[in-house]
Amino acid sequence: MKKRPAWIVSLITWPIVLVIAFPLLWMLITSVKPAAELFSTSPTLLPKAITFEHYARVLQDTPFLQYFANSMILATSTTVVVISISVLGAYSLVRFAYPGRETLASLVLFTYLLPSVVLISPLYLMLVSIGLANTLASLVIAYTTFALPYALWLLRSFMAGIPQDLESAAMVDGASRMGAFVDVVLPQALPGIISTALFTFILAWNEYLYALVLVNSDEARPLTTGVMTMLISAFNIEWSLLMAASVLMSVPLIIIFAFFQRHLTSGFGAGGVKG
Amino acid sequence: MVQVVFEKVSKAYGDTVAIPGLDLTIESGEFVSLLGPSGCGKSTTLRMLAGLEQPSSGSIRIGDRDVVNLAPAARDIAMVFQSYALYPHMTVAENICYPLKKRGVAKADRAIKLAEVAALLQLEPLLARKPGQLSGGQQQRVALGRALVREPSVFLLDEPLSNLDASLRAHMRAELIELHRRLGKTMVYVTHDQLEAMTMSSRIAVMRAGELQQFAPPDEIYNRPANVFVAGFIGTPAMALAEGSLADGGGHLVVHVGPLAVALPYAAAARPAAVTVGIRPEDVLVGEGPWQAQVRLVEPTGYETIVALDAGGLALTARVPGSNALRVGETVAFDLRRERIHLFDKSDGRRWEPAGR
Repeated sequence: MKKRPAWIVSLITWPIVLVIAFPLLWMLITSVKPAAELFSTSPTLLPKAITFEHYARVLQDTPFLQYFANSMILATSTTVVVISISVLGAYSLVRFAYPGRETLASLVLFTYLLPSVVLISPLYLMLVSIGLANTLASLVIAYTTFALPYALWLLRSFMAGIPQDLESAAMVDGASRMGAFVDVVLPQALPGIISTALFTFILAWNEYLYALVLVNSDEARPLTTGVMTMLISAFNIEWSLLMAASVLMSVPLIIIFAFFQRHLTSGFGAGGVKG
Repeated sequence: MVQVVFEKVSKAYGDTVAIPGLDLTIESGEFVSLLGPSGCGKSTTLRMLAGLEQPSSGSIRIGDRDVVNLAPAARDIAMVFQSYALYPHMTVAENICYPLKKRGVAKADRAIKLAEVAALLQLEPLLARKPGQLSGGQQQRVALGRALVREPSVFLLDEPLSNLDASLRAHMRAELIELHRRLGKTMVYVTHDQLEAMTMSSRIAVMRAGELQQFAPPDEIYNRPANVFVAGFIGTPAMALAEGSLADGGGHLVVHVGPLAVALPYAAAARPAAVTVGIRPEDVLVGEGPWQAQVRLVEPTGYETIVALDAGGLALTARVPGSNALRVGETVAFDLRRERIHLFDKSDGRRWEPAGR
């Protein structure tokens, strides 16, 4: 293929990047504008004065930190649960021969194809009947049910790429099967595990619908629904606070992305090609 | 002393029988090659010995222990894989020390062992590298090092040289022979390359479709193949095989093959009705002799020339020293080394030797 000149690439790329990034930029700008400037009739792109009062108010006068902690616990526990199950499950699907293995794998994928909204009512009723309604645990369970199938398939394709000879060698060298799994398979699957963990974490962090339906108390409310309920009422939307809260909400994901971006892209690439 | 014994070992995958029943005794300190075409069960045999596959029935003994129900780790073996199976996330040093670490050898002792093995295999400059940064030959040596470091009683090698290029392979062959001589340990070597088997082994087990065809030292395998399969499989270029019959030529045994009637220096006693006649290329003497053949193909290799001959419908291959001036289509005279003609009973394919040979 002929190489295109760099300026053409830039001409096409940058407008797209701007379009995508503009709302985020606007969010950032709005969050540091003084309230007076926010509603001025001649909107400013760059704020004339920068203020962090909205951030201070979000952190001090609202239950933001409580929600933040809830979201952290929620996303972390979901990730831990999903990774623990899917790593072992994917290994089993790849390495052990048992009747119904392929059927099982397909069924798992099938559950992923169901829109999550159709599962809301049954899931809610089940969680109520086991007494978990209105808890973070109920959300962990709910998120696990829809993150697990994808995680299983992503990790399965990763594990399938790990040569079996490596485990055989480790077992001859003195490791038990579990030892070989820990010493050899896990390090090899690490990029896959990281990208699966990121996927799960982001899913749990951003999820809104289930959080809205399943949890109804401030003690268990995550950020997504918490921020909405505290700042948006029927009569008023606190734009500055909402934007400040949104920025704060994005920070953990941005930090995580900065650290693991390389793994994420390589992980999705590998999953796509081999799966 | 560590003998390895397979006793009535069978392996089936579902309804497919890979190995119907194997009896094989490998003496202590031997270098035994399992040789055969792909799918002959040689790798399965090795993996059952390693504990990576469970036999369907039978017993496998290493030393005086029946190991069938032991985990690979408990069998006191080391294995080199065709793919080397080096742990990609560990350095060369960590790779070599892994078996020691898994067996709880103290760190100081591990370092001593590592230094010994590294010196033996000239790996010192590579110890801090990862396997991905090594050439094929270097990876091969690391895999050997990882097997050597623990001083197991039996070494298993699964086609360890097949991923190397030709010159490196010849070099590693010599190194393996030297290593075996120095260590004196029992080694079981799986290969489909007869050259490797012939050059390195004290004995070769030729396998086909899961069955042992012959288990003997290389020269016996070559000079007295036990059946038609071994005769055709061993030797490059291959032995010419043709249907023939035996007759009594006035007290002498005469073999009729194609248009030839070859008097053999044996008495014509009891003999099978029909035979398969095998003639190795080096036993066909081109130049003078009682018979005529047409040259069908000339393959000069420099040191010798391989010539395909057609002796009135009987296809023969001959080795002629040097670059020969033979032309395709020309007719040449030839003779046979009669005492070296191989005879196999056609009814069961087994080697038949006249009494008094």
